Amino acid sequence: MHTATRVDQAVGMSLVVFSLLLFTYYSVWVIVLPFVESDHVLHIYFLPREYSVILPGIAAVILLLCIGAFTAVIMWKHRKPKKVD
Amino acid sequence: MTKLLQWLFGVSLLVAGWALVSFDLLDLKLPQPYREVAWPMPLYLLVSFGCYSLATVGYRVATFNDCEEAAKELQEQIKEAREDLRKRGLKM
Repeated sequence: MHTATRVDQAVGMSLVVFSLLLFTYYSVWVIVLPFVESDHVLHIYFLPREYSVILPGIAAVILLLCIGAFTAVIMWKHRKPKKVD
Repeated sequence: MTKLLQWLFGVSLLVAGWALVSFDLLDLKLPQPYREVAWPMPLYLLVSFGCYSLATVGYRVATFNDCEEAAKELQEQIKEAREDLRKRGLKM
């Protein structure tokens, strides 16, 4: 068999679906919602507009923290012991 | 004009257009919904690019075919290289 394993396919497809959902939700939030009257029922499904800036900001901070932590762990594992004179 | 200068020129045009609409620098008094859509645009483009990257990675993970022979061959080559380096004195 030369196709990707079932786990690989499942993970890959779920990434695709997740990013499509995220893109759709965020697009409606940023682009569609300002043109919809404030008493329309659609507004119930979306947080207040300020969060459309705050949440990506928090996600970016968390991403940077993870990258920094990963780098720190790798560098800690590869530290060379100091030579004793 | 170099490519860098062309890019910078294009980017600064876009930034100028965005700032003009978002902060009403020329007092054009555009309708409020358009201004509300325009000002998060840089962040929106960034999020869209992130989603596109994530979708591309996911799609390629799902469609990348296993190559059994190449994997075996690679393991063999790794073993050979390890032996070779050990003979020459490199501690692994």
